[in-house]
Amino acid sequence: MAYDHIPLDDEFKALAAFDWGADAAPLAKLDAAVIACHGDAALTADLERRFGEIVTGKASRAAKEYACRKLSMIGTAASVPVLAPRLADPAESHMARFALERIPVPAAGDAIRNALGSVSGDLAIGMISSLANRRDAASVKPLAALLGGDAKLAAAAAVALGRIATPDAAAALAAAKPQAGPVADAVIDARLACADAFLAAGDREAASTIYRSVAATVGDAPKTHRSRAVRVAAQSGLLACLDDTVAP
Amino acid sequence: MRDKLPPTRRRFLAASLQASAAVVAAPYVITSKALGDATTPPASDRIVMGGIGMGNMGSGDQRAFLARPDVQYVAVCDVRKKWRDDAKGRVDEKQGSRDCAAYVDFRELLGRDDIDAVHIATPDHWHSLMTIAACRAGKDIYLQKPETLTLREGPLMIQAARRYGRVVSGGSQRVLEDYREIVDPCWAGELGRITSVDIDPGPSSMACYLPAVATPSDIDWELWLGPAPWEPYNPGRCDGNFGTGGNSWRSYIDYSGGSLTDWGAHNFGGTIFAAGLLDLQPTKAVWHRAAADGQASAYATLVYPNGVEVHCNRPKQLRPADTAATISHERGITIRGDGNAATPRAVPAYRGSGGIYGDFIECVKTRQRPFRDLEVAINTMTAPHMLGLVRRLERSLEWDRAAQRFVNDEEANRLLDRARREPWTL
Repeated sequence: MAYDHIPLDDEFKALAAFDWGADAAPLAKLDAAVIACHGDAALTADLERRFGEIVTGKASRAAKEYACRKLSMIGTAASVPVLAPRLADPAESHMARFALERIPVPAAGDAIRNALGSVSGDLAIGMISSLANRRDAASVKPLAALLGGDAKLAAAAAVALGRIATPDAAAALAAAKPQAGPVADAVIDARLACADAFLAAGDREAASTIYRSVAATVGDAPKTHRSRAVRVAAQSGLLACLDDTVAP
Repeated sequence: MRDKLPPTRRRFLAASLQASAAVVAAPYVITSKALGDATTPPASDRIVMGGIGMGNMGSGDQRAFLARPDVQYVAVCDVRKKWRDDAKGRVDEKQGSRDCAAYVDFRELLGRDDIDAVHIATPDHWHSLMTIAACRAGKDIYLQKPETLTLREGPLMIQAARRYGRVVSGGSQRVLEDYREIVDPCWAGELGRITSVDIDPGPSSMACYLPAVATPSDIDWELWLGPAPWEPYNPGRCDGNFGTGGNSWRSYIDYSGGSLTDWGAHNFGGTIFAAGLLDLQPTKAVWHRAAADGQASAYATLVYPNGVEVHCNRPKQLRPADTAATISHERGITIRGDGNAATPRAVPAYRGSGGIYGDFIECVKTRQRPFRDLEVAINTMTAPHMLGLVRRLERSLEWDRAAQRFVNDEEANRLLDRARREPWTL
């Protein structure tokens, strides 16, 4: 089925008026068009533009969600200005991020990172989550800045730094000195994630430094399932660093 | 003066192994009924458990663990009051007390340090998040299949399990129990080298456009949705369990891979086990378009690095004739070998007693890897997830296992995962 043989005007009109519970049959043709346009930049751009118009128009939340799902598949840098303003809207933030997170251009990461500075609470955690999924190395500095603040944001930022796992991320985590609690736990988890990543990349020295530090951190902790698991992680990591039969 | 001896690799390994063994080997020791009795093992041999997601499969898993004398069951968690209350009631009745705790939020259950292990049987969109959280909390996990909703989740779950030394068992009891009639001949070498398989996986999940209805008071809808996109409450989104034609959450792409991954976990599990593909992931998923004359529908072929081809939904008329080296299973699986001599191998078995549940508990005690170890489960689930993507994209894909990415297909790589709704993050 070639996309250019499908007018789709009626389908986009139906989408503009769509809401949950309405006839979804027209959407099936849009689904097919998104698949069929693969490899055709002009047709993809046309679809992208029309889905963008749904996002910026007065369509229902259901219709905008649908359009964001499609932009997550075919969106380009052209969709970033369409989606970025939605990141601060509690009703649209997630689906805008749903699309932006998947768009493989730096501008999409920039938009999410910029939004992190202007939203708060759960919306900010959402940005952090997407930056982690994108392994956005440019976000290390703003994420590190969150480690000393609000506990929920700090814990999410720590996890994200562990996913990014660059030397800068590891250094930021090492510098964090949270009090015992969820943030401290998240920092330890993230440091272990960094160490595992360094070990996998063959940097045994950097990995072992972290494992030793974590082992020392939990050395005097009360014996709980959590502290046992962290000790296991640190000790097994150290073993792997010393064991030259373990392939990095 | 041993303390002043310089550290050596051998000395460090010995000390660390002792320390690790001490840390890893013993599950948390409960204090009540510490000495046990004629029917109950002493506390040091009992595993303290809780359950998360107490619906159909969760209640079945709970009953299996409750029936074990070596399990002390202390807590349940569900976002739906009825299932939570029913689950608590089963524990209290069994244990003759009212002590079983009931939680709406799984984080409270995972925060209890007296719990050694949890079973998880929520809808699929929660599996990775809860599993990783449980690993970080130092719990061992029995995780219902399908273990993952997206391809990216699997490696993150394995990393967490390995990092913290956790025992994580996938929850497909059928792999070993339903497919022996094809597993045994394959492992005995009766078919020679396995060359190809035909399997008929079910449909993929679909988008959900159900209308909003008033949210009942007995469900925490925000927590049911969790990391999934916000959608209005409708019982058709969250009720049911096995239906995949639009009458349960398993039908819908935000919460499940559909029958493809639900029954696929069993059927691919049995197929991959029988064909000796447990450690492998497909390198290619080839999409065969439907014949222009309408005589043959579209299908896909998963190609494994050892050359085994797993044809999915291949039309009957395109399949080769059976030979003496062909074996079939009633669930739509046909396995073909080259018919040459092959060395028999022993079929892996559950550890302990009591099927897959006993296998998990035995591994919690002994720190061995269970029959459906998480890594095996993730390898298995890679097959239906890849099949789902080639069905959706209607084109062939090449998979780089080391990078966990598709080769030269950026659009396919976009579908490796999806953004989680705030405040949920992996």
